[in-house]
Amino acid sequence: MKLDLRGVSVALDGHPIVHEADLLVDDGEFVGLVGPNGCGKSTLLRSIYRALRPAAGLIAVDGDDVHRLPARQAARRTAVVAQETPADLDFTVAEIVFMGRTPYKADAAADEELCARALERVGLAGAAERIFATLSGGEKQRVLLARALAQQTRLLLLDEPTSHLDIRHQLEILHLVRELGIATLAVLHDLNQAAAFCDRLYVMNAGRIVVGGPPDRVLTPELVCQVYGVRAVHRTQLVFERIKEER
Amino acid sequence: MTSATRQSPAQTGLVPKNRRASGFLLLIAALAVAVVASTWLAVSIGAVHVALPQAWGIVADRLLPGVLTDGAPRTWTPAQEQIVWEFRLPRALLALLVGAGLAVVGAALQALVRNPLADPFLLGISSGASFGAVLVLILGASALGGLSLSAAAFAGSLLSLALVYVLAQRSGRLSPSRLVLAGVALAYLFQAAYSFVLQLAQSGRAAQQVLFWLMGSLGGARWHMLPLPAVVLAAGVTYLLLQHRPLNALAAGEETAVSLGVNVHRFRLTLFVLTSLLVGVLVATSGAIAFVGLIVPHAARLLVGADHRRVLPVAALLGAVFLQLVDIAARTVNAPQELALSIVTALFGVPFFLWLLRRRSVDRAVSVT
Repeated sequence: MKLDLRGVSVALDGHPIVHEADLLVDDGEFVGLVGPNGCGKSTLLRSIYRALRPAAGLIAVDGDDVHRLPARQAARRTAVVAQETPADLDFTVAEIVFMGRTPYKADAAADEELCARALERVGLAGAAERIFATLSGGEKQRVLLARALAQQTRLLLLDEPTSHLDIRHQLEILHLVRELGIATLAVLHDLNQAAAFCDRLYVMNAGRIVVGGPPDRVLTPELVCQVYGVRAVHRTQLVFERIKEER
Repeated sequence: MTSATRQSPAQTGLVPKNRRASGFLLLIAALAVAVVASTWLAVSIGAVHVALPQAWGIVADRLLPGVLTDGAPRTWTPAQEQIVWEFRLPRALLALLVGAGLAVVGAALQALVRNPLADPFLLGISSGASFGAVLVLILGASALGGLSLSAAAFAGSLLSLALVYVLAQRSGRLSPSRLVLAGVALAYLFQAAYSFVLQLAQSGRAAQQVLFWLMGSLGGARWHMLPLPAVVLAAGVTYLLLQHRPLNALAAGEETAVSLGVNVHRFRLTLFVLTSLLVGVLVATSGAIAFVGLIVPHAARLLVGADHRRVLPVAALLGAVFLQLVDIAARTVNAPQELALSIVTALFGVPFFLWLLRRRSVDRAVSVT
């Protein structure tokens, strides 16, 4: 599975937001998309999962233009964890995860098993009958990830998957996604985390992708100063790591 | 690695779903029994009392002459037979259809506009229908080219459907918030229009007739009025049941639905047209019956959760039973005067709704739109 963006421009209500973005995610790669607020990261992501149609350029998943694929076909290739809350209708966790099977023909037994495994994978096997709205932010995010897993795609898009989470849950989610080994494109806020988890990074500024490459080559003090207007300083300081549970 | 990964799905939390599946079938069976029982009660109760066994006998004798009654002697008078077969049974069946239809439309609309406070009359359809009906009642059928009351009501609902669509779409796409705003605005416009006609008419009797119609009544039910709502309802419910997964996805959010492979714009348009036609047909036969479409879907969700595969059939049966009981109450409480149905549905509906209001974080729900 390969995501390939060539010269993608996206406009919102006639205002150009993203200009001629080129971006590549290879099989099994974890790629980060960073940049200041309002630079167009989420807009670019939304155009990949078809919430927005690009004004120009090509978005190919596995060689096919996603905006020409039938909706269901596209949904079998790309899953999304975005920031959207369900209407106040009391869906259970299991019902939310089952939604991941929407693009497929229904097969009750197989679907049930897939969804059970997806919930297990995110460590929420016992929570199936709980009401989604009553979960904590970290649990919700993991349920949405389970839904994306139940969708059985080989490309995963994440829109700020760790916002609103405490440091431990941030690390847990990112580790979880890394361990999946699925090609992933994630919009991230925390530059240190982006550097720690991503194979490659793209930096956006004012609607353009300014640079892409391995984190240590991309996140130079000069670039951070140019894009974010802050100074990058090397300092010895505490770094937080997830504690692997011994079981 | 962990013990959790070695568990088979049978040991995980998804199992209660199966248990719930049998509970769900039990609930459906219980509701089906309630539908039959309440209908049986409805044909028996009234100004002319017909005992339950006789009511059964009359209906059975008509449906399968001699078979179901097993050649037993007729214990009822021709007058009783006429009342049960020509008036009460079609009325009872229409109550089932209208109750089921309004509840199903309510459930679908709540998913369509992602707002738990949506009801079948939110999109202005009923006001358009009322406008058509008022024109017939005040000006007379001849002034409208011989349109019958229900035909005029249906024409009015089609007019408002078209107007809401034109106002709410932008390059062919419907947004939930624009749908609601256009629907509410048009509802006010049509209300103003028929109030104006009413005021001009200044005919007390016609005005009373109009008021009664506006608040819903099944009094005019005859056999020939049943096929159209029955067919439209069956088609609508079948379609919605087949689309339960896109409906769930849509309730989870527009972008979520898109990412799950739902063609959101086409699906919304289909839902809008389908629910509007259904409401138009129902309102044309029975007037605007309030609250059924708002509260019954919520009651169904309290029973079976939010999954539309369960909500839709439960809401349909629950709505049917509810309106049947409401209609029985409406024609017996103040007999021989009949109460308008919206009075009775509101008497039941408002307390339930207020309870719901206190139980849920409605503030959050409203801000969604």
